[in-house]
Amino acid sequence: MTKIIGKNELESWLSGIMKERTVFAPTRVDDLILFRPVQSADEIVFDYENTNLSPKELFFPKTETLFTAVPKDGDIELTPTTVDQEVILFGIRPCDARGIAILDGPFLDEPADSLWSQHREKTTMIGLSCTKPAPQCFCTSMGSAPNDASNVDIMLTQVEDGYAVETITEKGEKLLQGVELRESDVQPPVPTCDVNIPAEGIVEAITKMFDDPYWSRLADRCIHCNVCAYVCPTCYCFDIRDRTDKGKTERIRTWESCQSKGFTRIAGGYDPRADKGTRLRQRFCHKLLYFPQQFGALGCVGCGRCVIACPVNIDIREIISDVQKIGAEVGQGSN
Amino acid sequence: MGSDFTQQIRDKAKELLEKGTVECVIGYETGSDGFSARPAFIYEPAEVERLVFDNTCSHNLVKYLLNKKGKPTAVIVKGCDSRSLNLLLSEKQIDRDNIFIIGVVCPGVVEWGWNNRSDQLQIRCNWCRQHNPVIYDFLVGEPVTEGPPDDFADIAAMETKSTEEREAFWREQAEHCVRCYACRQACPGCYCIDCFVEQLDPEWVGIRIAPEENLMWNTIRAFHLAGRCISCNECERVCPVNIPLSLLNRRIEREVLGLFDYRAGMSEDAVAPLITFMKDEKLGIGE
Repeated sequence: MTKIIGKNELESWLSGIMKERTVFAPTRVDDLILFRPVQSADEIVFDYENTNLSPKELFFPKTETLFTAVPKDGDIELTPTTVDQEVILFGIRPCDARGIAILDGPFLDEPADSLWSQHREKTTMIGLSCTKPAPQCFCTSMGSAPNDASNVDIMLTQVEDGYAVETITEKGEKLLQGVELRESDVQPPVPTCDVNIPAEGIVEAITKMFDDPYWSRLADRCIHCNVCAYVCPTCYCFDIRDRTDKGKTERIRTWESCQSKGFTRIAGGYDPRADKGTRLRQRFCHKLLYFPQQFGALGCVGCGRCVIACPVNIDIREIISDVQKIGAEVGQGSN
Repeated sequence: MGSDFTQQIRDKAKELLEKGTVECVIGYETGSDGFSARPAFIYEPAEVERLVFDNTCSHNLVKYLLNKKGKPTAVIVKGCDSRSLNLLLSEKQIDRDNIFIIGVVCPGVVEWGWNNRSDQLQIRCNWCRQHNPVIYDFLVGEPVTEGPPDDFADIAAMETKSTEEREAFWREQAEHCVRCYACRQACPGCYCIDCFVEQLDPEWVGIRIAPEENLMWNTIRAFHLAGRCISCNECERVCPVNIPLSLLNRRIEREVLGLFDYRAGMSEDAVAPLITFMKDEKLGIGE
């Protein structure tokens, strides 16, 4: 049997939660769709492909103070940031939820990142299956699916008279306590994402063609902005700097990207990735080679945001295909 | 327009590469959605068939010349792009002898995104008075008569709002900004080796990606382009959160036009008003 919640019941349930906790949901901001705190269910956009920016910023904000330091009694008092706010993240897509789970790899690896852990603990994720994947989507090729419920607490899938509800975790169960769900024999639709990107064997292929001139040719076109990294649900590079104002020092972490000139510049001015080709290669090698080597999964979830946001059409799907082709050629040559 | 322009560009590119006049032709090819354009770098005569020209060719390719210093390169420029080429020549950033300019009389570019194309012209084309390239070695298309002077209606509309409304408007835009620097990276006028925003000593703008710092970033960048912006509006096109940067840039452009009767990039030996001082120059506003 499928458990169903009607659209009206869903909205009143969410409205109830909003009274006690902060609910982030996809909402229209000018001509963008972004995750923002919503005060009423009317503000939520239900029929969106995906948000312009990924929800990773709820766990890894653009800017976050790690700790503050003030002089006290001849010593220095350090106060680490704590996350107190309980958050409900409504409407996260399966690809983005997978992105969060993937980032648990680096952030929860010992020593675990305290802020990431706290955000994770304080957040309950209500997923929303994709009914119609967008043309840029390729989640299935990256090991997920439009209705993949494995990385959320509650999963909703739109059916004719409401939403089919799957309770995945204890956190989800707790949130659903007291909510009346209707039993139904309606089977939720199983949407498919038909774009097939040849990701199998990519680790070997990219290793083989690591030194290929392909990267510097591709970098001809790249303008080395940080758009791809900042819309990406799995890019997590950051910069840290101290900021002192009126005797109080904050250690601040902000988003950064391997595409920035100077991101890898070290003391003395040396930059091991000074040219555009090696910088661009780094992004794809991190996702398709280093990340799987370190944490198992590919560092891409197939959300397609970079595909549509890149100002010069550096398309990861095309790159994966090219890498496979060149890798196979290089492989043959060396045999 | 499309196929004929495309053929002329391919023929010229082939000739330049075969003769060895240039090492590379920077033009446009069809992108991964199968219909919209993206920049292309052609090194071999056999590759010229990749080149296309149509109304999605909005990228300003002049920026790429900064990566080709000392290498003979051909570049395709529309009217607006050609002005940025003059800007870089007048600021001695590129060497005219190394550049072969294929100018295209621009039919206008449409609003498009990946896998998404409309018939509506981009806003840059509304104010454009430079469909004909101002500098070229080879021209594609018949020069057209340019329209009457731009009335900056968009700026005038913005000015009907109160100071408070405008402040609220820009604060909200700053809220959206993620400081990805795509605006800077796409801009042919932004070529500082160390951009002020990344300097640490002094630290002109804080590291935080937050409204105060973001406002500072966008404002200073606009001021650095005073009298230099040629309104190709690539900054606005590439912005992932759609900040209407033209409202900043064109406000300053109108000021420069009024004070100095100057439009950036109209000739390769222009003396830009804000980087020069004339003995008999008025000191400006209020005189």
